[in-house]
Amino acid sequence: MKQTLEPAGAPTAAADANNVAALHGVDYSIDGKPIFHKLDIAIRRGEVTAIMGPSGTGKTTLLRLITGQLRADAGRVVVDGRDVAQLSRRELYAMRRRMGMLFQNGALLTDLDVFENVAFPLREHARLPERLVRSLVLSKLHAVGLRGAARLTPQQLSGGMARRVALARAIVMDPQLLLYDEPFAGLDPISMGVVMRLIRSLNDALGISSIVVTHDVREISQIADSSYILSDGRVVASGTPAELREHPSPVVHQFMEGLADGPVTFHYPAPDYPAQLLDRSEGA
Amino acid sequence: MNGVVGEIAGSVRGFLERVGAMTRFFGQVLWNSPATLLRFRLVVEQVYNTGALSLVIIMTCGLFVGMVLGLQGHDLLERFGSEDALGVGAALSLLKELGPVVTALLFAGRAGTALASELGLMRATDQISAMEIMAVDPMRRVVVPRFLGGVIAMPLLTAIFIAVALYGVQLIGVQLLGVDQGQFWSQMRGAVELGDVNEGLIKGFVFGIACSLIAVFEGYNAAPTAEGVGRATTRTVVVSAVVTLVLDYILTALML
Repeated sequence: MKQTLEPAGAPTAAADANNVAALHGVDYSIDGKPIFHKLDIAIRRGEVTAIMGPSGTGKTTLLRLITGQLRADAGRVVVDGRDVAQLSRRELYAMRRRMGMLFQNGALLTDLDVFENVAFPLREHARLPERLVRSLVLSKLHAVGLRGAARLTPQQLSGGMARRVALARAIVMDPQLLLYDEPFAGLDPISMGVVMRLIRSLNDALGISSIVVTHDVREISQIADSSYILSDGRVVASGTPAELREHPSPVVHQFMEGLADGPVTFHYPAPDYPAQLLDRSEGA
Repeated sequence: MNGVVGEIAGSVRGFLERVGAMTRFFGQVLWNSPATLLRFRLVVEQVYNTGALSLVIIMTCGLFVGMVLGLQGHDLLERFGSEDALGVGAALSLLKELGPVVTALLFAGRAGTALASELGLMRATDQISAMEIMAVDPMRRVVVPRFLGGVIAMPLLTAIFIAVALYGVQLIGVQLLGVDQGQFWSQMRGAVELGDVNEGLIKGFVFGIACSLIAVFEGYNAAPTAEGVGRATTRTVVVSAVVTLVLDYILTALML
């Protein structure tokens, strides 16, 4: 089945003052393979914005473009009103200090215990008295419910606990923008609920903005203010979760309903199956 | 024929690209070293990890290398009736060649592989990326301390290897085979000069730079997969061994 895409419903990203981050007409390719083409996305301040899409659509790449770890081939990536590509190394690092990121596997430093992992950004960037470091770290660990696990090592944590510790580390420098890369992947329902509530409550309590890259439609629909669905290198739909459910695009419908086949096909492109079985010239 | 030529050209180009990348990486390491030295605690931790944790293997191997040298040296010198020269012969060969070279090979096998796999796993599990997002330069925080730790540890390990190996020579030569103890030590003191000691330490220092650089380069640039980490570890050992032997020849030619 051929993939037909509806016109993207992305908002124009002109009003950068209201946006904590925005991508304007971004092109990006890896080894000549296009990942994004004329991508427009705006992340509004104070909101939880979901970035969804089938696997392999470049959702994590999008986060790396925002953090400045990758540079766009064309277009502009604007964070807090400044073009990331124009920042010097010092300015880029200053920008990253105002960000926090939760990696899919937590990415905790394995040679440090839970307390030292959370304290890591403080010790690297701020010369604070040990008493203050301790109280800050304990308060962040308390916020994610893991104050009692302060002296455990990363190897002793479950997947959900590791992600909560990583979340405590991400907020310890009081960032303005939090980026989540597949925060629900591989979690049991209880851990998933805990992480979900934390994303929403931290966003509201700290007055920050959040970008959640995920393909867990049901979970993110409960907490996101707005969502984008990416496919084939561009935005195919955007809006509130309720608006997306009513969206006419077959791709959006397939994604929101979790259908195995549709515009995004189940089978990877391949020659005709019976013809391939009968073809003796091809090796085993 | 064209295919073979193309493959050789491709291999040569790949080799030169890798040499260029490592040279650039070395420049970055040197550029960031002064800033890292200001946080000397990080370097001391790595001296412990690469140096102290390699002590057992270095001392064990040193003892047995010394004992073999005692047996072989005694057998050889006995043919000329010069057993008393065992001490000086063993000391010079250990100081000038065996000590630095064998220590470097052991260092690459023990500490080098540990460094490469640790950095490779940090890359594969996004720890390096996480540092970048936290505005922490992984080069200064992770790579340079490990490099400097190795550079400091290698000459110390070389000295310890030589000392233990000499004990091994003495154990076999004097205690077991009956070489005169006074002759053994006095001939050694008389013939070994400060330049010989310096030669061993300079080689240890240079091999330390080479082996540590190769380990952190391979680990830091490993593909973020299990296969990538394994390949980086293997390359660390192979490249370190080859580079050590090539450098040994160059240094020997320069210092003779």
